[in-house]
Amino acid sequence: MAAKPGSAPVTYSPNLGQKTRPPIFKDNDLDWVRPDGRGFHQCRPAFFRTGAVNSASGSAYAELGSTKVIVSVFGPRESKKAMMYSDTGRLNCNVSYTTFATPVRGQGSDHKEFSSMLHKALEGAIMLETFPKTTVDVFALVLESGGSDLPVVISCASLALADAGIMMYDLVAAVSVSCLGKNLVIDPVLEEESYQDGSLMLTCMPSRYEVTQLTFTGEWSTPDINEAMQLCLDACNKLGKVMRTCLKEAASGSQE
Amino acid sequence: MGLPNASGDLSTEVEVDAFRRLFPLRFYEKHLLESIRPDARPLGRARETTIALGAVASANGSALAKIGSTTMLAAIKMEVMTPSLETPDEGCIGLLPLAARFPVSLSLLKTPGRPAEAAPVVAKQLSDTILSSGMINLKELSLVSGKAAWMAYLDIYCLDADGALFDTALLSAVAAFSHLEIPVVSLNDDGKIVLSEEQGLSDREPVNKEKRKINLSSVPFSLTCVLHKNYILADPTAEEESIMDTIVTVVLDSSSQLVSLQKPGGTVLAYTSAIQDCIALTRQRVKELQKILEEAISGMEVD
Amino acid sequence: MVGLSVGEKHFIQGGIAQDLRSDGRKRLTYRPIYVETGVIPQAHGSARVRLGATDVIASVKAELGKPSALQPDKGNIAIYVDCSPTAAPMFEVGRGGEELSTELSVALQRCLLGGKSGAGAGIDPTSLVVVEGKVCWDLYIDGLVISSDGNLLDALAAAIKAALSNTGIPKVDVAADATSDEQPEVNISDEEFLQFDTSGIPVIVTLTKVGRHYIVDATSEEESQMSSAVSISVNRKGHICGLMKRGGVGLDPSIILDMISVAKHVSEQLINKLDSEIAAAEASEEES
Repeated sequence: MAAKPGSAPVTYSPNLGQKTRPPIFKDNDLDWVRPDGRGFHQCRPAFFRTGAVNSASGSAYAELGSTKVIVSVFGPRESKKAMMYSDTGRLNCNVSYTTFATPVRGQGSDHKEFSSMLHKALEGAIMLETFPKTTVDVFALVLESGGSDLPVVISCASLALADAGIMMYDLVAAVSVSCLGKNLVIDPVLEEESYQDGSLMLTCMPSRYEVTQLTFTGEWSTPDINEAMQLCLDACNKLGKVMRTCLKEAASGSQE
Repeated sequence: MGLPNASGDLSTEVEVDAFRRLFPLRFYEKHLLESIRPDARPLGRARETTIALGAVASANGSALAKIGSTTMLAAIKMEVMTPSLETPDEGCIGLLPLAARFPVSLSLLKTPGRPAEAAPVVAKQLSDTILSSGMINLKELSLVSGKAAWMAYLDIYCLDADGALFDTALLSAVAAFSHLEIPVVSLNDDGKIVLSEEQGLSDREPVNKEKRKINLSSVPFSLTCVLHKNYILADPTAEEESIMDTIVTVVLDSSSQLVSLQKPGGTVLAYTSAIQDCIALTRQRVKELQKILEEAISGMEVD
Repeated sequence: MVGLSVGEKHFIQGGIAQDLRSDGRKRLTYRPIYVETGVIPQAHGSARVRLGATDVIASVKAELGKPSALQPDKGNIAIYVDCSPTAAPMFEVGRGGEELSTELSVALQRCLLGGKSGAGAGIDPTSLVVVEGKVCWDLYIDGLVISSDGNLLDALAAAIKAALSNTGIPKVDVAADATSDEQPEVNISDEEFLQFDTSGIPVIVTLTKVGRHYIVDATSEEESQMSSAVSISVNRKGHICGLMKRGGVGLDPSIILDMISVAKHVSEQLINKLDSEIAAAEASEEES
């Protein structure tokens, strides 16, 4: 009756029709509409909430369009014995996807690349020297992937860290921009990401005006870089305000 | 805090907290004498339970179940497979990979070690329960006899763990199945099953015109109780589970038939009367859960 | 970890501030680059690059495969980096070697393979296709760190560029009578080889920020003093093909823009130098 171990049948998903769909964007076509009807330079409305997980020291849930992410922060706990002595704290990051996050059922495994990027984006913002000899674990789970997953994970993780009371210089807000033909599109959705010619992700600490992580792919000319970075910085500023409001609400709620 | 001398004064607050940490068992026993629990519940009452259906848009069926602060997210994805030769007209429920799905927050609970080993146990228990309860008739998952059948992959993620993991997992699984909507598919030229709308094959006869929902007969619900001396505590929190180690899990279906009963060891040797009390508590709880699930489903239909 | 005394640290930082580094270089001067090609006969292409005491090998293996259903007109390219424990004890398994390997692999993939649609890629993935949707070459690019003295990423990128220009992919004849459904039969020639156009492959310039200044091609001693580093990949046209910020501390956006323009300037010399080294290496290989 049950599927026997070792004899897992080969299955396929019935909705593999994407390859027949035409690309959403063609060269020189300047008046196309984004799949969700947004303007090119308009972000999806962001929703953040802290304290989603009780058993964690701190946690946050973020939702931008159909991208849904939950991040739990555990610790600080004692570092493993095998680790060398360190007078600064350690940060351990892990990003994983649920099996149902993507349209085609995935393996739900850890995402090593994103894990290391998350680590890089956060470490510059955390005052690691405030918890020597200990480790803070940041676990992110992408419940549903709807594009711009990594930026959402990073923003959400910094909120979770704040919720856990880990000392930081500032919150980290992250935004990505996709380059489609000649156009720059901010906060791309999954469909746009799959046709992009290049992408730029910028994470920054809005009140310090400092970039903690910046990555490009694809070919960029200098004026494009300037434009894209400015777009991201502005968007990060706005996102930072939304995140700040969320923290303030949580703090005033708990006082009552 | 529910202690009689906790008058809101900060110094006593700290003391209560310290007492709770240092002598957890005595802390609990003092409460039990008064027939109340530290979270102000009577012994037999379960925590507040909520179900949200359709939490994951990318899945065919999904549900978020919350018992107290224990939160589980279950999602079902339907894929097509070729049925095995022995059962040409049956589909399958892919539950096996479940064990791997727990680690995110569970493995990092404050009591290290325990929850990580709990994950595969809960997974096994869950797949046994779902399959043996006969909740789903696997014949309904058949598409073309001997050629194609549905494989329903059920994945459950524990987002927050605070005791009663199995109850929450089962509830979320059941809710996800009742939310499940099977897509309309038809057979294309290559003999593959494809979505009707997307492929422009809507003129073609769908293979599963009628079977959009799975009929759930005899839905199983469960209640976990913790036994300590003569006390029975329904729906324990993680703290209660760790202090009092005798756990009884009863699974009843909607017509109050016993599906499974588990008492995996523990220091308390239970009398049959205690087990019967557990079953009686479960019977009440099943009615509650049924109502909650029905409300969630009817809430969905209104939208 | 490089253990340095306070005096040594000051010496390095002071030298950088005065534009005269411990080994006599200026801030924006690379160490001499030595390129050797064809070092691994079993591979389709290989190269060894030495930058001071940093020593890396890159090899390219090509295998016939099937393109993915989503991108039928593109071959697959995988880049993987292995840090040998012989290079430094900290590369031992379980002591951070793996993390560094992943970091380098990811950085190289980002910088060399371009965006999802393939735009800006150093290697044109469409050139790897033999029969669209059916047969293509899968390129496996492996980097091996033999000895590490800083600036691994730039060295690896240079080695990969050299290895790819050394790569010859066997010519493939497709049986003409192949029907549309079946996997076509192919004939791999062992005499005729196709060469890649490697002129578009970018180089990576890593700018390491020490104090208020940034330097290129940092040694590991200098790297231990960095506050942050930015790796920028630039192609011959002067376009940025990828960028990764590495290392923790935040940077002001204007500094990053300044770093990009410096990297562009440095990359011109580096590309010319590397190209002539590669040509010389190829020539000496043919002679021998």
